[in-house]
Amino acid sequence: MYRGREGQWAFFLHRITGVAILLYLLVHVGELTAAMFGAKYSNAILGFFHQPLFQLGLLAVIGAVLYHALNGLRILIMDFTSWGTRVQDKLWYGVLALFALFYIPTIIKILPEIFGGGGH
Amino acid sequence: MAIKTRNFNEARQQASTNVELIWWVFMRVSGVLLVFLVLGHIYMNNILISNTSIDYDYVASRFSQPLIKVYDLVMLALAMLHGTNGLRYVIEDYVHHDGWRNFIKYALYFVVAVLIATGTMLLFSFPFEKVGG
Ligand code: HEM
Ligand code: HEM
Repeated sequence: MYRGREGQWAFFLHRITGVAILLYLLVHVGELTAAMFGAKYSNAILGFFHQPLFQLGLLAVIGAVLYHALNGLRILIMDFTSWGTRVQDKLWYGVLALFALFYIPTIIKILPEIFGGGGH
Repeated sequence: MAIKTRNFNEARQQASTNVELIWWVFMRVSGVLLVFLVLGHIYMNNILISNTSIDYDYVASRFSQPLIKVYDLVMLALAMLHGTNGLRYVIEDYVHHDGWRNFIKYALYFVVAVLIATGTMLLFSFPFEKVGG
């Protein structure tokens, strides 16, 4: 994993995205918990997070999950096959290609909604 | 110490304790499940609908469906444990001062334990049918 440049980038991104997703998850569950206290509080908090800045953050979280998931599968291939580690840099380019394939349409769908398109 | 390897047999040799090896396996098993759970979750709440339209009624209608309850409960537990153990690896790599490392770790465990508890209570505070009707 520490061999070569690709491995280090892959590892570093995996780490950053993993920690970012966890921090998001903690806020996410906290935010949803307001629903236990009724519609008034819940809508106030959910509405607060509908500001464009947070919506952009959400888009970033989606990207983080996508990268972390795909690279996680790459790690599993390296762990459980005999050939995975040999082609780890190629696998990483595969991760990046799949990431772009899924993330670009997601951005195209969500970005207009943030700036007044769909929603409400 | 966290295991740093890319292979199960090496992991077995490197594991300082059995518990550490179990966590190594857990990270991989939970990872595979989370691919489907979390990506499916994001698909349902961001692609099928606009996430800017999420409000109390939507959340309540989702939490009231038995299937979603089970789905969310499993996702909650796996993501929390996977993410917390992952962050433990990171903390153990970067924080070398014993006192600080332990303080940060136990503060993290405390926050996560509280959120797993409230997250579970939240799920079951909704009735088992569609609300709003
Ligand atoms: C979506 C599917 C996911 C897959 C396939 C996956 C896979 C993995 C794998 C294989 C590792 C390496 C474990 C090791 O080194 O022993 C890992 C680490 C990690 N994961 Fe995930 N994971 C997923 C989702 C998540 C989620 C939802 C979170 C946060 C809540 C998360 C947070 C982390 C963290 C913080 C690490 C530690 C990173 C490090 O040690 O550098 N992961 N993940
Ligand atoms: C990025 C956009 C996301 C949106 C718009 C979103 C939205 C929601 C909504 C509306 C709910 C209520 C119940 C349901 O629909 O299932 C929920 C619950 C939940 N979400 Fe997300 N979510 C997002 C990302 C994530 C991610 C990345 C994770 C995991 C790391 C996650 C983990 C959870 C969990 C565990 C619950 C259940 C909470 C509980 O049982 O207390 N979500 N989410």
